[in-house]
Amino acid sequence: MIAGTELRLVLVTPEKTLLDQPVKTLRFPLFDGQIGVLPGRAPLVGRLGSGALRVETTSGSETFYIEGGFAQIKGSVVTLLTNRALPAGKVDPAKADEELQAALALVPTDEAGFAAKDEAVNRARAMKNLGGR
Amino acid sequence: MGNARVLVKRRKSIRNIRKITRTMELIATSRFKKAMDRAAEAAAYTRKINEIVSDLSQADLTFSHPLLKQPAETKNVTLLILTSNRGLCGGYNGGILRKANSRIRELKGEGKNVTVEVSGKRGISAMKFEGVEIAASYQQFEDKPSFDDVNEIANRYLADFISGKLHRLDVAYQSFQSAARQSPVVETLLPFGDLATETEESTGVDYEFLPSPEQILEEIVPAAFRARFFKCFLDAAVGEQIARMVAMKAATENADDMIRSISQEYNRARQTQITSELSEIIGGAAALE
Repeated sequence: MIAGTELRLVLVTPEKTLLDQPVKTLRFPLFDGQIGVLPGRAPLVGRLGSGALRVETTSGSETFYIEGGFAQIKGSVVTLLTNRALPAGKVDPAKADEELQAALALVPTDEAGFAAKDEAVNRARAMKNLGGR
Repeated sequence: MGNARVLVKRRKSIRNIRKITRTMELIATSRFKKAMDRAAEAAAYTRKINEIVSDLSQADLTFSHPLLKQPAETKNVTLLILTSNRGLCGGYNGGILRKANSRIRELKGEGKNVTVEVSGKRGISAMKFEGVEIAASYQQFEDKPSFDDVNEIANRYLADFISGKLHRLDVAYQSFQSAARQSPVVETLLPFGDLATETEESTGVDYEFLPSPEQILEEIVPAAFRARFFKCFLDAAVGEQIARMVAMKAATENADDMIRSISQEYNRARQTQITSELSEIIGGAAALE
């Protein structure tokens, strides 16, 4: 079998489809770390984390901030379902910092609270890192 | 001349009203198109979620999730009613409120604790009139509900349901079947009954699941709920604009009819007046001879 040479990225949020274009390669955060995808990747269904989505297209590279959701790779199509997606340029580092401070100030009392705090902190950190660039 | 003057005045005011209803119809039409586009774009997300669910189902999973489970007892029921902020949209709000009220009565008759939450000024004032206590009310959802805003409410319901404070969530809204067909419905969103209703034919692709099918399922059920909850708001926005469009079209047509009949009446009145004046003149001239 010949490995695929095409890769198509579809980035979907509940409000709209942000991207639907052919790409050369892309990198995005899964729940436990970054994953890179090249054409011909085996089928996958995975949980997304929060952080930077980097897309290499023929005309250059783009960066987005994505927040949780799911990834599905089927054939040559990579579908990212995420709750929120912003072009990196639109991320506001000051606001992200504020959110980080708010998240750090949370005082959880039960297990769900701790998990929620962790998630909020990670999210705000990822956003801040991306915004600072 | 008195009668004819009055008619002219009335005709003028109806013409003004016609202008307003006509404009509102046009505005509603353009808003409807925009709302429709948003709903269509949002449908892509739901479709993909369903696809992943069907992918998961081939991983030999039993669908068990706190959101899918029927609670042991159904005591606390929340009813969320989605109405519009503005009026002049025909039977839109009336239909939804009628459904909602009958559901409230039914639930109260069964002895459940009903919490009523309302979105939209029309519903808030109607519930006040009915004497129903409103636990929470929202007015920020116009014709462009944003996912973040809706999500806040969805998260609260999810947390309440999982912690057992809420046993059932019903939503009363105008459901959208097609551009020509919408109907008010009361839908039960929690417990999340039929995750796999729209499951498509399994594609037979052998997936790698990261981290594991179980954990993905755990995440995807709330995501599916959020998407469905958001869809209710989008449907409601589309329904409102369609209802307004139809109501304003009818109003414009009625104004046209009225203008026509008043014009006729006015012409008749004018003619009678001229005839009577003429006969007066002739009568006067005859008297002089």
